[in-house]
Amino acid sequence: MSMDVLMTLGQGPLPAEMGPVTLYHYLFVSAAMFCIGLIGFLTRRNLIIMFLCTELMFQAAGVALVAFSRFHLNHTGETFVIFVLTVAAAEAALALALVVLLFRRKETLDGTSWTELKG
Amino acid sequence: MTETITQLAGLLEPVLGGVLATAGSAGSPAAAGAAGAGAGPAAGPMWAALIPGLPILGSVLCLLYAVLGIKNKLPAITTVALLAASFVLTAVLFVNHNGQPQVVHLFNWFDLAWGTGKGEHLLAGFAYYIDNLTLLWMLFVTGLAALIALYSSEYMSHDVGLGYCRFFGAFNLFVFSMSCLVMGDNLLLMFLGWEGVGLCSYLLIGYFYTKPAAVAAAKKAFIVNRIGDLGLVLGVMLTFVVFGTVEYAKLFPMMAAGLDGAGRPVADWVTWVIPALLTVGAFGKSAQLFFYVWLPDAMEGPTPVSALIHAATMVTAGVFLIARLYPLYTLDPDLRVLTFVAWSGAITAFWAATIEMAIFDIKRVMGYSTISQLGFMFAGLGLLSPVGAAFHTFTHAFFKATLFLGVGAVMHGFGGQLDLRRLSGVAWMRGFGLVGVAMLIGSINLSGVPFTAGFFSKDMILAQGFTTPNSMIGGASWVAWLLLITAGMTAYYTFRTYFRVYAGPKEFVPGDDAELLDLGRHPKGVSLDEWHKQHGHGHGHGHGHGDHGHGGGHGHGDGHGHGTDFKSSGRVDFDPTTEEFDPHPPGFAMKAAIAACMVLAVLAAGLYFVKAPSLAGSEHGGWVGSMVHNSSAALHVEGLGDAGKAVEFRGASHTTQSFLGLDPHAVMYYVSAGVGLLGILIAAYLHGPKGWQGLFIGSRTVAATSRADGLANLFGPLTTAARNKYYVDEIYNFVIRVPLLVLGHVFHLIDKLLVDGLVNAFGRAPRAAGNAARVGQSGVLNGYAVGMAAGIALLVVLAFMAMN
Amino acid sequence: MLLSLILIPLIAAALVPLSPKRLVRPLALVGTLIPLGLVVWLLGAYSWTKPGGVPTDLAMTVGALPDLGIALSLNIDGLSMSLVALTALLGPICVVGSYSAITARVRTYYGWLLVLQAAMTGVFLARDAVLFYVFFEFTLVPMFVLIALFGSTNRRAAAIKFFLYTFVGSVIALAGIVYVAWFNATVLKGGLTFNIAALVQAGQQMPASTQGWVLLALMLGFAVKVPLFPLHTWLPLAHTEAPTAGSVVLAGVLLKLGTYAIYVLAIPMCPQAAEHYAPFVATLAIIGCIYGGLICWVQTDVKKLVAYSSVAHLGFCMLGMFAFNAAGLQGSILYMINHGLSTGALFLCIGMMYERYHTRNMSEIGGLAKRMPIWATFMVFFTMASVGLPGTNGFISEFLCVMGAFQAGDQLGSFPGNTGGNLGPWYAAVAGTGMIIAAIYLLYMLGKVVFGPLKEPHGHGGHGDHADHGGGHGHEAGHGAHGHDGHAGGLPADLTGREIGVLVPLAALCLGLGLYPKPLMDMVQPAVDKQIATIERVREGKSPKAPPAKPLPAGATSAQAEPADVGAGAGAEMSMTTTTEAGL
Repeated sequence: MSMDVLMTLGQGPLPAEMGPVTLYHYLFVSAAMFCIGLIGFLTRRNLIIMFLCTELMFQAAGVALVAFSRFHLNHTGETFVIFVLTVAAAEAALALALVVLLFRRKETLDGTSWTELKG
Repeated sequence: MTETITQLAGLLEPVLGGVLATAGSAGSPAAAGAAGAGAGPAAGPMWAALIPGLPILGSVLCLLYAVLGIKNKLPAITTVALLAASFVLTAVLFVNHNGQPQVVHLFNWFDLAWGTGKGEHLLAGFAYYIDNLTLLWMLFVTGLAALIALYSSEYMSHDVGLGYCRFFGAFNLFVFSMSCLVMGDNLLLMFLGWEGVGLCSYLLIGYFYTKPAAVAAAKKAFIVNRIGDLGLVLGVMLTFVVFGTVEYAKLFPMMAAGLDGAGRPVADWVTWVIPALLTVGAFGKSAQLFFYVWLPDAMEGPTPVSALIHAATMVTAGVFLIARLYPLYTLDPDLRVLTFVAWSGAITAFWAATIEMAIFDIKRVMGYSTISQLGFMFAGLGLLSPVGAAFHTFTHAFFKATLFLGVGAVMHGFGGQLDLRRLSGVAWMRGFGLVGVAMLIGSINLSGVPFTAGFFSKDMILAQGFTTPNSMIGGASWVAWLLLITAGMTAYYTFRTYFRVYAGPKEFVPGDDAELLDLGRHPKGVSLDEWHKQHGHGHGHGHGHGDHGHGGGHGHGDGHGHGTDFKSSGRVDFDPTTEEFDPHPPGFAMKAAIAACMVLAVLAAGLYFVKAPSLAGSEHGGWVGSMVHNSSAALHVEGLGDAGKAVEFRGASHTTQSFLGLDPHAVMYYVSAGVGLLGILIAAYLHGPKGWQGLFIGSRTVAATSRADGLANLFGPLTTAARNKYYVDEIYNFVIRVPLLVLGHVFHLIDKLLVDGLVNAFGRAPRAAGNAARVGQSGVLNGYAVGMAAGIALLVVLAFMAMN
Repeated sequence: MLLSLILIPLIAAALVPLSPKRLVRPLALVGTLIPLGLVVWLLGAYSWTKPGGVPTDLAMTVGALPDLGIALSLNIDGLSMSLVALTALLGPICVVGSYSAITARVRTYYGWLLVLQAAMTGVFLARDAVLFYVFFEFTLVPMFVLIALFGSTNRRAAAIKFFLYTFVGSVIALAGIVYVAWFNATVLKGGLTFNIAALVQAGQQMPASTQGWVLLALMLGFAVKVPLFPLHTWLPLAHTEAPTAGSVVLAGVLLKLGTYAIYVLAIPMCPQAAEHYAPFVATLAIIGCIYGGLICWVQTDVKKLVAYSSVAHLGFCMLGMFAFNAAGLQGSILYMINHGLSTGALFLCIGMMYERYHTRNMSEIGGLAKRMPIWATFMVFFTMASVGLPGTNGFISEFLCVMGAFQAGDQLGSFPGNTGGNLGPWYAAVAGTGMIIAAIYLLYMLGKVVFGPLKEPHGHGGHGDHADHGGGHGHEAGHGAHGHDGHAGGLPADLTGREIGVLVPLAALCLGLGLYPKPLMDMVQPAVDKQIATIERVREGKSPKAPPAKPLPAGATSAQAEPADVGAGAGAEMSMTTTTEAGL
């Protein structure tokens, strides 16, 4: 198998003018998503936004996993992603509940107002 | 008795001769040691252990009485009975003693072996070494202890109850310790007694423990003694290291032969270092040279204690130590340590005498007089007259005890008054006649009036001092001159006290000791007898505490005129406007003890004439001489006692001195008698009352002033300095105590700041590190996230760098 | 048998929190009395003086972790026996002595006291270094709790300092032990074992410079516990703040863990280094004697004074231990016991005073002999024992320690009594001044607290001196009742029967051991002989040429080459490098 074939992930023929979508493309999307999430997490103060950003990073990881899974032609990554999604859903419920509780305490969603861990 | 000793001395002759032959003509072998060289000393009778055993039993009984809360004179009765029994046992032992040293072994105290060779077994038992020196000392220790216990039974009767038990418990413990000191068959048991008497001295000086002065004096006595004890204990250790044993019976033969434990000749430095170390201990206990400071302060204790411990027995322990180890001291061919002992004894004697001439406290006069007389004894040892030293110890014990007991009677009778300017004509007061006689007897002994015991014993030391070759003891004749001058001063200060206090017109001011005051105080207009009858208390039964802070609840407090007094010190000032004071004469027990001491002091003179004719050497020793000659304290140097003779000592020849060309032993009787009488006449002129009592040369009519006052002013600052004991206490305080205390504070600061500071710095280091790291812990979520991201980024970069 | 000495207090400790409050004290008493009974039985049933001194049928191994070379083995010899006996004796004394002092949280208090008892006993019985270390460290926990919960005002800081200081020290010591075990396993191919006897064997084959490092590590750890100057500063604080029983145990036994560890671990493992550095350790010990003594003298807190006196006293103990001769070693072991008795008793006495007056400040109290004659008698007695008065136990040990130092040197020439060594008369003479200073500060204390005019803190005055009232008062009944007012806790002015009962056994032992120490000396003689033999081997030829007692496994050639090399005198240079190569 040539390198090109190896790098091709799509099952059907692709529009020739666009070229094949390779693993790199998926990984690029994943990395972009992760960076957006990371930057958002680092810069934003709103707890909900920060939470959304973590979700974004989660999904970025998911994309990468699925891409690898397809690349290696096995289902390990996909299985893993399904687990991650399940956990993420549970975690989302928990995290949002926490956010609500925190909001009730201080009537604000600003994450920097919580500094109890200050050493 | 004398015959027995004579026979035994005859028996000893061959042995002595043999040793003399082996050790050369200069040898000074201990007859005792030599006799025991062969098979070790014979076993003594086991009951001899009862001599120290009975006093310790008494001590335990007194403790038991205290526990049972006994509030009568039972402790005193027990003590007197047991001590008397102890004395009788000593006497029986003495009569049956055959002159040979005996050992009574009870059990091993130290028993530590680390090998089988010589010097590899530290063995020291509760074992008693009985020879003539031991017996000499034990006779007067137990005898006087019994008499003084009798005296104390009355003297301390105001404290019947717990205090009484405490007093007699410590008293018994003292006699036990002193017995161990004297009878111990090894240096360690001697040391047990040595420190034990120190403890008892501490407890008894501090008997009136609510008085800060008494507590301070007790502490001082113990600590000064402890300094001496360090020297002693190091000396004992060095003795053990060099000779490989601490038992006398094994030490004496080695010392006599001049060989150490390995059988080699004893090294030169050892011959003076061990004696020097031991001498430090002896000086501490016997208050010599610069160690004397504790003894005057020790007069804070009850007077019987001063009489027994601080005059007659304990303070002579130093003399005993040197006498006991005389073979060690004479091991040195140059006699360096003995020369030092002679000089320091004479200087101490002179020094203390100058203080005595200036001070007014009659009990302190006696205290300094003890120091001075101890100086004589040490000088006697140093001047190669151990017999003289032992004889003087013996006679001094009796006459000084008499004097102290007399002073105690005055103190007891006059509310604790001790100032000789506030007492006069005491001998003529009702009930004090015996005290006056006793004081006179004691005083003529101390002054060295002819034909008294003190005269003979002091004479022996002086005569030997003028005889001893200057080439053996450097400056021996100078030492003797100094002692002769001191003898005159002694006569002066002794009779100064006598003429002031006991002779002359009757006059007194009561002292300020509340308990003693209560014995004789009564309201004006009521006689003492009526007063006592009226209030139903015989003298001295717990009514000393007039003020218990319960003014209102007091049954008898009001009569004293101070019923609402809330002071808690137990001291009440005598109020001459409303009260009168009758001197309280001594009762039967005190009188009996004083009389017995007095008689013994007189009889002691007779011992000078009880001669044992066949003694080695020509020293004029009398009975004490015969005792000492048959013990370790003997010094056998042919011709040492005669003027102008050539003597051989450790291979060198010396020539004995003479006193201004005359034989000292012949003329010293007259010279010292003359010096003593001169001192008495000066005292009579300066202090004597008008009339016959002042030998017709005195002029004193009141208690407070005398001709001497002008003389004292003449000397001006010198008198003041002497009255303040030459500020030695202050100097010590400034030179030793204060620097040590400052050092203590400095060390404490160092400990707190530097040593502990370093530890705390170690403790703070992690905290400081934590504080430094705190900056990163803002508590803000985003901050941690940035940190995490940065960390990951760093790791990635590092990973890349590692891969490339 | 030996295990029960440890287990019984532990079981009692477990039962204490579950029992009703009124049963706590009896339970604690039983939990300490049974071990005491066992100890008495052990003392009677076995001959402790026979050569070797170890009753073989008492040795036991409870369990083992062979993979780690750890075996939970217990055994006892004369030295351990004497210290176990001391621990067992102080147990009930501490329990009974605390009856009136501790009235709140009794379960916690007695529970931890019992745990402490078990741990201390364990240290003396352990024959495995790891087990030893576990017990050694475990004493810290109960002591920490006792100080932190039941101490005086500054108790927290004291507890933390005590814990951290001694803990850091012993961790360093653990490093030393582990190094020796590693050396044994890798260099000597002796297999991984933490058996103390094996480690001692191995340690003696270490090169001199390595021994020096190991000794440093072990000494750092154990000297903190002793405490040796300048590692002593935790002690005064902990002593002062601890409750009475805590101070008693601290002075009585905990300090002895340090000296015991040095005696059975540090010196035998590194005899060559110990011999070489003896003057250094002795100098520190002497500094402790004098420095600690002078500090005592300027204290105002009487308990702190006694605490600092431990620094001074243990200096003598260490001096004797590093004299390496019979007198010194005997003296040092006796010092461990005697110091436990006399200083423990002094702490008890001070505790009894504190319970009555709630102050330990010597400027606030004075002349208590007037008020408490029985107490004063005990106080004077134990002080004299502490001063080292002949006839009391203190003298025997102090004299032997100083004597040992005196003998251990031949600067003065060779005499029958010299035993050889690096110390000598000068050490003894300087240490002797410590004896004078001891008299100074202890009599200063007596003069302030026991004697002098009566002085009591406010709220305690006002009642008459019932100690000394004569007859003829006629109001004694009212007087007596009156006298008890000012005291908290319903304690009478003078000691109660219980308190006297606590002090009397200690006093009897102080006197007994002072007059007839032979049984105790015979008991520890085998341990002394062993130590001397170890040092003698080092002194002869300065090399551990003697074949190892334990046959080495075949093929351990490098191990056998090792001592030979050291013997050639190359010990210093070869040191770590060779060792490490062999190890790798």
